[in-house]
This record gives sequence, C-alpha cells and structure tokens, in this order.
Amino acid sequence: MKAFKLENEPKIKSGFKTPENYFDDFSEKVLIQLNEKEVKVIPFYKRKKILSLAAAAMIGFALMIPVVNNYRADSNELDEATLETYLSHSNISQYDLIQNLDDSDIEKLGNNVTLENETLEDILATSPNIEHLITEQN
Amino acid sequence: MIDEKEFIKQLLNPQTQNTAFQKLLSDYQRPLYSHIRNIVLSHDDADDVLQNTFVKVFQHLKNFKGESKLFSWMYRIATNEALTFLSQKAKLSGISSEDLQNKTIDNLKADIYFDGDEIQIKLQKAIVTLPEKQQLVFKMKYFEELKYEEISEILGTSVGALKASYHHAVKKIELYVTSN
Repeated sequence: MKAFKLENEPKIKSGFKTPENYFDDFSEKVLIQLNEKEVKVIPFYKRKKILSLAAAAMIGFALMIPVVNNYRADSNELDEATLETYLSHSNISQYDLIQNLDDSDIEKLGNNVTLENETLEDILATSPNIEHLITEQN
Repeated sequence: MIDEKEFIKQLLNPQTQNTAFQKLLSDYQRPLYSHIRNIVLSHDDADDVLQNTFVKVFQHLKNFKGESKLFSWMYRIATNEALTFLSQKAKLSGISSEDLQNKTIDNLKADIYFDGDEIQIKLQKAIVTLPEKQQLVFKMKYFEELKYEEISEILGTSVGALKASYHHAVKKIELYVTSN
C-alpha cells in the first residue's frame, strides 16, 4: 500500500463554504446585537444612583412623619407639666376644680397612677403642710 | 495603512470607537470565520461563535492594553470561544468532544456548505484523532497557513514546540489515511 505523504500531495483545502452574501450582512448583525445589549443592561453606576435616590427619599419621608404629626397635633390643650404649674400657683380651690369635672373625668381619676411608696414618703417628709394634706384626704 | 498603535487609540476613544470597530469587523471577519469554522466544522455554529467573538472583543476593548498585537488578541478570543462552544455542545449532547466532531464529519457530505470529496473527509477524520492542541496547530499551519511566530503569539506556545507538534500531527495523519 502506497504510504500517504502530505507534502507529496497537492494542497488539500478544508472544503468549507459560506452561504452567498454571508459576509455582506455580517457586520450589521454584530452591530445590531451590540445595540440590543447596550439597551438591556443598565450600567451599574446608574442603578446605584437610582438606589441612592430611593434610599434618600425614604429617609426623608421617615423623618417627616414626626414633624407632620406635631404639626397636625392642633390640640389646644395644655400639656400636663404646664397645667400642674398653673394649678399650683393658682387660687382655685379643690371644690371649684371638682365642680368642673364630668363623670368621665372622675372615672379617669379613679384609674390614676398610684404613687410609689418612695414618692409618697418624699412628699410627706418634705411637705411643710402635712396637716393640710391629712385634712384634704378626709 | 494605519499604524497599529494609532488604530488601538481610535478603538479606545469613545469618539472614534464605532468607526474603528467597524473597520475591525471588516478586516477580521473572514480570517476569523475560517479559523472558527476549522474548529467547529458547521457553518451555523461558526456563525454563532464568530458573532459572539466580536461582541466579546467589543466588550473587552477597554481591557486591551496593547501588550499583544490586536491580531493575536482577537485570534485568542476566537479560539477560546470556539473551543468552549465545542465542549459545551458535547456536554449538552452527552457525548465526548471527539464523538461530536466525528458525528459532524459524518454529516459533512450532506452539508450544503461543504464541497469537499473523500480525501477531505478522510483528512478531517484523521485530524479528530489528534489531541486538541495538535489539532489546532495543524489546522492553523496547514489550512490557514499562519506563520509559526503568529501561532506562537496566539496559543502562547514556543515556536520550537509548535514545530514539533506539527511534525507529530502530520505523521499521525499520514498513518491514519494510509491505513484507512
């Protein structure tokens, strides 16, 4: 059998062919693909910007809530501390105060915060008018 | 003829990039198609891989530092894309890369984009029996007629090793064709 020698043979081509006009359209195909990829992908730096804006908006909104609540608190009522100070310096008698209470106010008084023993002892120890307090209790 | 350094500058400059890339497409589509087709064998597969290659080239332009020539850089991307494609196709089919290539060669006669005869089919079958690297070296030297220095830059193998590899490839092919 005659040995096959590559160098003795005429050049053997691969035999591969391309469709007609294949290379005419090829560049355009690639450019279209690149355009599509560009549109689909949001660059990371833009995504980051959107996320940062969203986060800032949420924080801003959260901060606004107490401000809005305070603004909306249009109550004309005095807070407790102010009321206490007013009453302690006023000449209003307890009888006058009681006259102005309605049933629901009296009910609320019944549910009043109980004084801790320590607080009660402090008051008794420091109050100059202990007799007055005992009298009032009766 | 434009200087390579200048052309790379144009490719990296956003103002001139599109025009420069279109020139790159125009200059390299045919040689890269041949290179890829020699590896993947079917036209449709070569078309897919060639498109992916240019898309990858475009996406990685910003990373190209000009340490190698554009030519070898592009051929390297094309080679990797083609080899990856083949191994993924083989994996999906559940057969070895060699079996897949043999299957493709068996279908070559019926392939409208193949006009070779018996000797060409026999040569392709002989090449498939070679280790992957030897196949590459043989195809690039014999079919594509690239210089050893160019193949060396693309594959990252010394010229001496390439010459030895080609010599071994030729011997095996001759033995296969003689016995078949």
